[in-house]
This record gives sequence, C-alpha cells and structure tokens, in this order.
Amino acid sequence: MKDLFFFDADCQVGSVPTAGVLPGVPELLADMDKFGVEKALVAHGNAPMLGAVQSNKELSEMLKADTGSRLHGVWSILPTQCPELPPAEKFFELLEENRISALTLHPFDHLFVPRRRVIGKLMDMAAEKNIPVMLKAFSNRWEDLYDFVEEFPDNRMILCEKFGKWGHDRQIRPLLENFPGFYFGLTGYWVPEGIRDLVEFCGAERLLFASGFPGYSQGSLMLQLKHSGLSDGDLRLIAGENMVRLLSEVKK
Amino acid sequence: MSIAIWERPGSLAEKFWNCGKADFPIYDMHGHMGSHNAIYFRRCEPEDMAAHLRRIGVKHLVFSHHHALWGAMRNAEVVEICRRFPDLYRMYVGIVPHYQDNIREDLKLFDSWRPYAFGLKCLADYHQISLLDKAYEYTFKFADERSLPVLFHTWGGSQFDGGKVMLELTRRYPNIRFLMGHSIFGEWDYAEKTVKESNGNVFLDLTAIPGERGLIEMLTGRVGSENLLFGTDMPWFDEYQAVGGVLSADISENDMRNILYRNAERIFGTEW
Repeated sequence: MKDLFFFDADCQVGSVPTAGVLPGVPELLADMDKFGVEKALVAHGNAPMLGAVQSNKELSEMLKADTGSRLHGVWSILPTQCPELPPAEKFFELLEENRISALTLHPFDHLFVPRRRVIGKLMDMAAEKNIPVMLKAFSNRWEDLYDFVEEFPDNRMILCEKFGKWGHDRQIRPLLENFPGFYFGLTGYWVPEGIRDLVEFCGAERLLFASGFPGYSQGSLMLQLKHSGLSDGDLRLIAGENMVRLLSEVKK
Repeated sequence: MSIAIWERPGSLAEKFWNCGKADFPIYDMHGHMGSHNAIYFRRCEPEDMAAHLRRIGVKHLVFSHHHALWGAMRNAEVVEICRRFPDLYRMYVGIVPHYQDNIREDLKLFDSWRPYAFGLKCLADYHQISLLDKAYEYTFKFADERSLPVLFHTWGGSQFDGGKVMLELTRRYPNIRFLMGHSIFGEWDYAEKTVKESNGNVFLDLTAIPGERGLIEMLTGRVGSENLLFGTDMPWFDEYQAVGGVLSADISENDMRNILYRNAERIFGTEW
C-alpha cells in the first residue's frame, strides 16, 4: 500500500487435519499482495495438535518459501524440565537463524501448567530480550489468561485470539489497564468504531493490526481500521509501526 | 507486490478506501439497538449508531431492539425511536413467544406502524422455543397472509432454528419472505436447500459472515449473489468491517453490488 504500511501480527499457515488443509506460505503471500499487507507474523496453524517440536521445525521449513523475507515466524515453547527443545540458550540462538521473531505456548493442548516453575526460564529470557509472546491458546479461558499475565508481568505479550462473535471489552480492558507490556491484536475485534474507543482508553501504541488469517480475511479489518476515525499518526502505529517497533527492540 | 484492491482505479474497494462510501446506498437488513447484558456496547443508542451508519452511506438499518427481544420494552416504544430518524431506521417487530398477549396486541397495530414496521424478528435460540412450536403459529400465519419479511436468527445445529427446523418452516409457510439471519451458520447444505427449494421467498442474510475468509464466495457459489442480503448485527459489528469483508471476497463487483443494495431494492423496492 502506498499510503499505509501494514504488518499483520496474526497469521497461521500449515496443515490442520481437523480443519482440512489450511493455506501455506504461498497463499498467505498472495493474500498479502491482494490487500497490500507488507509483512506478517506467522505461526503454525497445527501447533496445538502437532506439538511444539515438530511444528517449530515445519514452520521453519515453510518460511523458506518466503524469498522476499516478508514473514516472521512464531515458535512454541515447552517446559524446560523435559529436554524436548534445545537448551534455553541454544533455543534462543536458533530463533534468529530460523527467522523466528516471537514465541507462543499451547499449555492446554500440550498439557503443561503455564506457571513460572514450569516455563519461567524461557519466559524470563524472552523478557530480557524483549521477545514478544503471542497469546493464542487462551480463547475464552479468561481466568487462565489473567493468571498467566499476572505471573509474567515483565514479558511483552500480544493477545491474538479468535474469541467468537461476542465483544470482549470487559475482559481485555482490565489487562490493558494493568499491564504495560500487554498488547492487543485486533483479531476479530469487530466492535463499531471500537478501535477508536480503545485508543482513547489505552493509546494507539498498545494495539496491533492482526487479521487472524486464514480464518479471517485481512481486507475486512483493513477497511475497518482505515475508517475508524483515528488520526493519521495513530492509524500508522496500529497498522504496522507498533509491530515494527516491537521487533526492532528485540535484543540479540 | 501487485496493486492492492484498495488501489485499483475505479474499483468499489478504491471508492470505499478513499471516500469511506460509494455512490450507492447500503441496506443493512439485520441490526439491533440498546445495551446488552454480556457485552459492552459504547455505541448502541440511536444517535451514535446513526452517525456511524451515515458515515458509510447506509440508507436503512432494519433492526430489532435488544430490550424488545428480551421482553423489557414494548415494540410501540421502538416505533417512537424510528419516528425520530424517519429516513434511516426501520424495525422488525420483536416476537417473544412467551408473551402471546403482547404478540396479538402488537400485530394488530402492525399496519399502523408502517412504514417503520418493516417485518418481524424471531430469536428462537435465545427464547428456547423451536420455531416449529405452536407458540409461533399465530405470528407466522399473520406473516404468511401478508407476505411479510421475517428475520430469523438461525444457527447451524440448533434445535430451535437450525437447518432442519428452517427447511420445515419454509415448507409450511410459502408466502413469508424468509430472511435467514446468519445463513444458518455452519449448516451450509441446509442454507442452500432452503433457497433452492423455495419459490423465491427465501434469502440468506450475511450477518457475522463478512470477514470470515472464503464464506461469501462459498455462499455465492451455492445460491448466487442474488439471494444474499447484507447485515451487520449493528451495534455488534462495525459497518466498515462488514463492507470490507464483502469487498475482500473473491466475487465480482456485480455480486458485491447485489449484496450491498441491489437485492434489497429488487425484493423490497426503493421507497420504504
């Protein structure tokens, strides 16, 4: 897009048996071209079922199809007490090599307790390095989500969930109010002029353009954001500049 | 990157992107109004909604007031809201099957409430009574005799207003103009069947569908864009989000125009 830079904070690729085969990297890039989205943060759509080890590996392979370096990957973490992933220091070294810019977790599918005693080492290193942690596994498990965010207040977290069709301001606003490192991806946030209202509440710096591809189309949120009544500056922040800043602040 | 849809000269997408509206009116056939017990709606009162609707060029929002559907407000009060916005709002008379006396009273007044009263609204999933129950017989007979539009909340798998129920209902009442709210979401075979087996009196309402990647294309392929109507559940969903979902679909601009306004004008006329 000539007039606006878009960075999509919430995309998934890969095969998901329960949903049929989902689009891969070529299809995602085609949609990004169609709508004018320059960059995207991408997770493996089947990580919950496939597991962290295999989905991390598959995602890295899939990202090789992105020859223009438009995509940034998201890897899943596991408890460090079970040596399935490389040791913590090595794991973080591998992120850059594999074009991974953010982490995520699936505690309810991968069956671990998302607490400091379990994943504290990885979460603390992520906090030190300013690596964003994508929250995609807590859909409508608000008490679990609140517990998790309270357990790791120093981490930068981005909530990108497909919650369903009901507005959820009553759940997300307290998190935005209480945790400065908590960011909200706009996946499925269809509230009329709600983006502008959220900016009034917490500032544009805390909101991110996040489509929810492939479940949701990028275009619908783009038009909603464009005409949300924001200033040009706030619009640019949400469309892409916030995500660029977050990634630029990641320490090597 | 290739040229984004928003930058294609002369396209509908470019028009909405740059101007915020197009050169045609939009008919939003599925709206609500008023507060909700479980959702924070900052913009759910008539004035705020009107500002949003006018910005994108909605000619009419046809709505049912939440409070009327919950039984806390009578439909006569909703008529008064419409009178304050005579060019914009039209209403579905909310049918609460638990209050049979109210239904009879309201339907007696229906003709006197025109043009604001546009049709009827049934919310069987919430009222927990199947649309095939005798509690609805008086209402549907009334609508069938007058060929009234009735907007049904429908949802796939529901015992109250799911696919099987809706197919049976369309067979019982061949003159009602069925607006299948949410297109029997998820039970697409039934959605298709209700349209194809009808005598041209069944239409799928797209509320909650624009933005769901691929669904508008799928429904257009199954029943044709001539049988799809635009809706947003306003104040649940943003008009720009929903229009953006239509513009983002891989369908022709002719299909988009059908959905956003041509079908409503063809089915209901332009003066109402």
